[in-house]
Amino acid sequence: MESNSLAMNTLIFLGAAIIMVPLVRKLGLSSVIGYILGGIIIGPFVLKLVGKNAEGVMHATEFGVIMLLFLVGLELEPKKFWAMRRRIVGLGLSQMILTILILTSVLYWFNWRLDVALAVSMCFAMSSTAIVLQTLRERNMFKTSAGKASFANLLFQDIAVIPIIALLPIIARNTAADNDETKFLIQMLPEWMQSFSVIIGGTLLILLGRYLFVPFLRYVSKSGMSELLTASSLFLVIGVSELMISVGLSPALGAFIAGVMLANSEFRTELESHIEPFKGLLLAVFFVSVGAMMNFDVIQKNYLLIFSLVFLVLAVKFGVLFLVGKIFKLDFTQNLFYAFALSQAGEFAFVLLNFSKKVYLINNTLLAQMMAVTTITMFITPILLIVYDKIIARKLGKNKDEEHPFDILNANVQPKKIIIVGFGYFGSTVGRLLKASKVSATILDYDAERIKLLRSYGFKVYYGDATRLPVLRAAGIDEADLVVICLDNPDDNKFIADLVREKYPNIKIFVRAKNRNDACYYLENGIDNIYRETLGTAVDMAVDVLHETGMRKYAAQRMGKRFEMIDKRAIRKLTKIKEDESTNFSMKESILREQELLSYDSMNFESHDLIESYDEDEDEIVVTTK
Amino acid sequence: MTKTLVLFAHPFLEYSNSNLELINFYEHSQYYDFRDLYEEFPDMHVPAFRERKQLLKYDRFVFHFPLIWFGMPPLLRLWMDEIADGNWLNGIEKNPFENKDVFILVSTRSKQHSFGRTGKHGFTIEELISGFLVTLKIFNANIKHIYAIYDSETLSQKDIILHKQQFLAILNQ
Repeated sequence: MESNSLAMNTLIFLGAAIIMVPLVRKLGLSSVIGYILGGIIIGPFVLKLVGKNAEGVMHATEFGVIMLLFLVGLELEPKKFWAMRRRIVGLGLSQMILTILILTSVLYWFNWRLDVALAVSMCFAMSSTAIVLQTLRERNMFKTSAGKASFANLLFQDIAVIPIIALLPIIARNTAADNDETKFLIQMLPEWMQSFSVIIGGTLLILLGRYLFVPFLRYVSKSGMSELLTASSLFLVIGVSELMISVGLSPALGAFIAGVMLANSEFRTELESHIEPFKGLLLAVFFVSVGAMMNFDVIQKNYLLIFSLVFLVLAVKFGVLFLVGKIFKLDFTQNLFYAFALSQAGEFAFVLLNFSKKVYLINNTLLAQMMAVTTITMFITPILLIVYDKIIARKLGKNKDEEHPFDILNANVQPKKIIIVGFGYFGSTVGRLLKASKVSATILDYDAERIKLLRSYGFKVYYGDATRLPVLRAAGIDEADLVVICLDNPDDNKFIADLVREKYPNIKIFVRAKNRNDACYYLENGIDNIYRETLGTAVDMAVDVLHETGMRKYAAQRMGKRFEMIDKRAIRKLTKIKEDESTNFSMKESILREQELLSYDSMNFESHDLIESYDEDEDEIVVTTK
Repeated sequence: MTKTLVLFAHPFLEYSNSNLELINFYEHSQYYDFRDLYEEFPDMHVPAFRERKQLLKYDRFVFHFPLIWFGMPPLLRLWMDEIADGNWLNGIEKNPFENKDVFILVSTRSKQHSFGRTGKHGFTIEELISGFLVTLKIFNANIKHIYAIYDSETLSQKDIILHKQQFLAILNQ
């Protein structure tokens, strides 16, 4: 196994992902399984395409996890984060302590050394942030109670890594264990302050987030170059994680806090769209490397030990999680999902196990075995979730649907997910009326100055160029029902309308059109909700001019309405005829037709004379009352 | 099977559970074309020419509306004002109501005994909507039945379904 170049390795990893993931998705499984399977296939035990350096690749791509947490942070405003504090500590602490207690006592009972049992239990108490968050994202479950609980729990584990790393050498009773590979800045502080590292790091980030990040991004965005924003997004995430490492904190936690600090800023969607592809790529490679590290030699030699440990870890974690979920009053289905989703050991286990070896708590063989256990549990999670889907969710879901068969009355007001693109004079008028009617919408614009102004008026406008698909994705187009396009530039409007129609044919599009030709273009492309900026206002003006010439207001208004209606119909007809291409429908003809139609609708007041004469013929009409 | 047009007018439908329940059967039947006027003409503008053409396609009509301050909903009144055509009488245009059956369903929050000479409102429902009835009569429509639902918003779901069935039975006679 010669060592490949970095590019070659990346090529192989990505290749495995590209081939396996669509295959696995076709079978309806989570993409994580595809990545891991791909990893196993290219790994040293099947195709031998990558050497033992998979571990190196994995460390490099752990950065994907950091980006993932940054993105998660972006979606969580500080207020919401603060509101979660009870859940984070409550769920997290009880899960960690119970898991560690039970696992340690079981292992101790099997004649493990107490310190080893304790260390291994601590490693296994951690769940996989990458797998769980990826799953929550794929299933759109962040807003469900199970999603929130899982997330809170993972956050606590992220924080808990730090004290555990501090505890391991103490457990090892090995003061000689030196971990000087990074010189922690924090160690320069007096000892009593070191334990407050979390608080110091957190405060630092909050201050930076408030006073540095946003003005910095605003400055960059003024240059109007999209690649500069990509660069500064990466700069931010990498910078924050490096900062955290030097303070002695988990970089993932740092990235998360940085994300939370930026969640309120107008750059949220833009940042998301820039980081997202990197995150996706790195995570993919990370999962593949997990697969590639599966050491089948070790598994084969000790399969009894390893599989019973896998079973033990899954069973204990599942039990504890389910219990904790129950205490925190999750309902049964949600609790089940929560317990299944977090039952694996995670990537932190890799880190902690390696660290335990360094402090001589565990030896090399045990390390390899424990690594195998961790990998297998990670691989089993997606499978467990399929089991959850197929059997349990279906069974319970059915009962739920049958509860309210007559509930049509309550269902008639559905909150719609709306995205407004462009918040200039046109878009903001739309937005104001929506806001006044308490209909919330995600608003996108790309004028940094205007956004600042609108934000000061209390509109939640986000910065982002909606002609780019990733921006639309970050704005939540996957779950949106309506897209309202109100940009000033008609070509941009057309571009976005086409893009949305192509990628999301089920989303309703409302579009601002400049004139008749624009409207025709949209009609030809199957978009029905077209708003011509020159029609309504021009008709209003004509109505007032008519009034000025002596017509009664109501009559003029009636005429105007009728005219508008006929004009809209005429355009529809025009497009249809254009499509047939056989006839040449001229503007002159359409204007003549308009006049004809208007005359049809005019009032006929001879009718009353008719009724009266009819009266006389029939003598009288009896009013039909009893 | 005869084709029936249901013209439904309710300016505050979202506050009327009984009417929400009552109208759902029209929507499920292929023999009824259901038109919700307030949904169709929210800006109080009725395109008369188009409406007149449409009416000719139907064999009978149902007008379904609540009493709004003891009169019919303004949009239905406006609809009639706009589409009614004197030329239907002199034979220049074909009269869409000529000898067609018309059914009327009126809902009101008032109690039955409040209507009529002895009631506190002093008039019957037919009197309150008499202008509409006269117009239909002039166009030779046969007003087959005026079905009133009193107390409409305090009725139980069961009562409403009962009313629905009764009205349906009248329509199916």
